Amino acid sequence: MAATGFGIIMLLFTTRELIRRRIGLLQYSLWMALWIALILVGTVPQFYYALILVTQALGMLTPIHFVTTFSILALFAATYVLGKRIAELNEKVNKITQHIALMNTNNKKNDSHS
Amino acid sequence: MSRKPFPYIAYMLRSRQGALDLVQSKSEIVCIIPALNEKATIGRVVSRALEHCGAVLVVDDNSQDQTAEESLKAGAKVIRHILRLGTGGALSTGFRAALRGGFKTFVTIDGDGQHDPDEIPKALDPILKRQADIVIGSRVLHGSGSMPLVKKIGNRILSIATSFASGTKITDSQSGFRAYRRQVLEYAIHRGWDYRWASEILALTSKGNFKIKEVPITAVYFPKRQRGASIKDGFKILYSTIRGTREKKSFTHGKP
Repeated sequence: MAATGFGIIMLLFTTRELIRRRIGLLQYSLWMALWIALILVGTVPQFYYALILVTQALGMLTPIHFVTTFSILALFAATYVLGKRIAELNEKVNKITQHIALMNTNNKKNDSHS
Repeated sequence: MSRKPFPYIAYMLRSRQGALDLVQSKSEIVCIIPALNEKATIGRVVSRALEHCGAVLVVDDNSQDQTAEESLKAGAKVIRHILRLGTGGALSTGFRAALRGGFKTFVTIDGDGQHDPDEIPKALDPILKRQADIVIGSRVLHGSGSMPLVKKIGNRILSIATSFASGTKITDSQSGFRAYRRQVLEYAIHRGWDYRWASEILALTSKGNFKIKEVPITAVYFPKRQRGASIKDGFKILYSTIRGTREKKSFTHGKP
């Protein structure tokens, strides 16, 4: 019951974050998968046993092993993507800073000519 | 006997051209000084650099002191970054602004007083005499003087890597005291925002077959001011230099 309640609250919160454009679609999909799994396990406990079959087919002993391993891999991937994105943004910010500096110099020149 | 006048005329023309270069060029020479919090020294560096160059361009890399005001007082033109980009970024901005200004020869020196502006003619001489396109003021050509040991070792490693990347033997690849002919910067300007610029620009321009020459300079090191490239920066420079040797045409052209 608690798991279902928590899952529903988090699902609504994550959806609100998507609507407010605070998170991307990829992030939303990952969180949604987790919350839906939590709600299903809370409401239909048999779902957990079904999950065991799925995770064992994937070579994991229990669903928690699967979640832990998958989360670590997902975090590594997220760190890489975020690092790349930060580097790209940093490059853009630097270029804008340089552009502004050169533009201000040009404007000063034009002002002194007129 | 009949062949003698021709070499003589050629010599006269050459020396006349050389003399004209030396006379005309002061107004066409710009000194670019990247500066970050150099209030104490910048004024003196600018006024001494103005004795040798037609204009001095100080690129204030978002200083928190009166670097820009002091530079203006001393007679420099000032470009301000609204955010700190690093030495490479400041020089890149300076090069682009100076290319737009139509200058033909570019000199770069540090704003902290490490370089002696009175040695600017020494760096300009090979360019004005058309013996080189890039001149590096080497702090180690005639002994490394008071250069700290860590810097000495790092500089040696990076100079070997840069020599390999540029195809020219360079003893001080990290020197900020340099002179460039306009054509060099029209060909390529470095992309690195930090200390990587020093090796990167040499690796990039090596593909344009520009002549690089080193001249010995004196440098002053301030024990209390431990600014400069760190060991981490050293690895970054090494990586970008090695990478630069693999890049063929994918660099930024120096469009003003």
